[in-house]
Amino acid sequence: MTRKILRNVGVPILSFVLLLLVWQWIVVGFHVASYIAPRPRQAFLAVTQNWSALWPLILGTIRETVYGFFVGAALGLSLGVIMAKVPVLQRIVYPVLVLSQAVPIIALAAPLVLILGFSVTPKVVIVAWIVFFPVTVNVLDGLTHVDKDLLNLARVYGASRWRTFIHIEIPATATPLFSGLKIGATYAVTGAIIGELAASDGASLALYQEHANANLNTAAVYGTTMVMTAIGITWFLLVVGVEVFATPWQRRTVARRWRRR
Amino acid sequence: MTLLELRDVAKTFGDTIALSPTSLAIEEGSFVAIVGPSGCGKSTMFNVIAGLLTPDGGDVLVKGERVNGTTGHVGYMLQKDLLVPWRTVEDNITMAKRLTGRVSAADREEARAVARQYGLGDFLRHYPTALSGGMRQRVAFMRTLVTHQTLLLLDEPFGALDAQTRLEMQQWLLQVWRDTGRTVLFITHDVDESIFLSDRVIVMSPRPGRVVADFANPLPRPRTVDTLIEPAFIDLKTKVMRLLHREDA
Repeated sequence: MTRKILRNVGVPILSFVLLLLVWQWIVVGFHVASYIAPRPRQAFLAVTQNWSALWPLILGTIRETVYGFFVGAALGLSLGVIMAKVPVLQRIVYPVLVLSQAVPIIALAAPLVLILGFSVTPKVVIVAWIVFFPVTVNVLDGLTHVDKDLLNLARVYGASRWRTFIHIEIPATATPLFSGLKIGATYAVTGAIIGELAASDGASLALYQEHANANLNTAAVYGTTMVMTAIGITWFLLVVGVEVFATPWQRRTVARRWRRR
Repeated sequence: MTLLELRDVAKTFGDTIALSPTSLAIEEGSFVAIVGPSGCGKSTMFNVIAGLLTPDGGDVLVKGERVNGTTGHVGYMLQKDLLVPWRTVEDNITMAKRLTGRVSAADREEARAVARQYGLGDFLRHYPTALSGGMRQRVAFMRTLVTHQTLLLLDEPFGALDAQTRLEMQQWLLQVWRDTGRTVLFITHDVDESIFLSDRVIVMSPRPGRVVADFANPLPRPRTVDTLIEPAFIDLKTKVMRLLHREDA
């Protein structure tokens, strides 16, 4: 068990440290000027030394990411279920969904600002726009591939459609659902940043980075990128955590003690 | 007493006659084997009895009541164990209750008692992925048992098991059948299995799917491995094999 934790946590940390080392070697080894690429330490300091100014912006980005993720996940799940249950709707809606993902997000931002203003809402919409799609596709795929014999068995027992859905179809879709959520989680922060770039009139993490870039403060640009990445990774890991907790049968041979008195 | 009766039950899929008009009466408490090659309509017949398919003609009667196209009156088990991976052994056994009502403390206690009685007491909190094929089929059968249906339809339940495990499972099934007094309708394409288990062997044949013979099985119980070499066994096996092979030619 300890060895497993070491492997699952230790190795990713090690590869992260390795990445920083490579960064350091390249910058130092090739004598890269600090206005082109800072050393990792400088990027870190650019974040920590401006922490009081950055923290509210970070909170803003987190809020947009998380709200957008939940809206997108809920929308994605609902659409997946509806399309799986009503094949006619699937044929009508599916092409529209694919179309929605072909629209460049940047091109979407301008009209969204016109409609929704500069509030948090357009960012949430953009994040949800990105997140819902992998969720819908995976849920739809999961629901349409539930073992027909298992569904027949439920029918033989005399189960209602609702109970079959709750006790068979939904749990059978857990794995693809979480695949969709994990993809959505990694892209969510990107959506929030795009939203901030295109639909901010005031302070935001994306604009902070723009200003730093305009001032040739490369360390702050890199530092901000690291912060954005950290938000994305943290959110992804949280989703993975929920998955591990919610689907114990994928890793365990015996149920947790507290599940059954 | 007749538990199940088929009266001229027929089923067609497009141009294919899956089951030509078939009449059959199954006595309560009996063990009836249905043997035949694939395409002989045995699974179609099962699905009609279970209510998954509505017959094109004729009636299915359980305890004298017409049940055409309705479900909820049989226990049903396939070659695939259909255990759900997200539930423990105990929760898989109580699955039917979960799907139709509330799983009570008594249901859980019953599931645990059945599992203990038939050697799976130590695995109640295991997920099915941790079990062997034979154990999984036993759990699937317990799940069928606790539905308290008198009539059990078993469609090649041991078809995916190796020969050794299969023989163990056959003897186990006979023991459970003796303990619980259920009525079993057992599909197989294995002639030995059909004779070893049953009171009666029904032979079916394809194109169109139909019953071609209905043999009473004279072999005494309890059956052991020695049963497989008794003259009466060989005799019945010969008759069944001739029928099946005549159809092949």
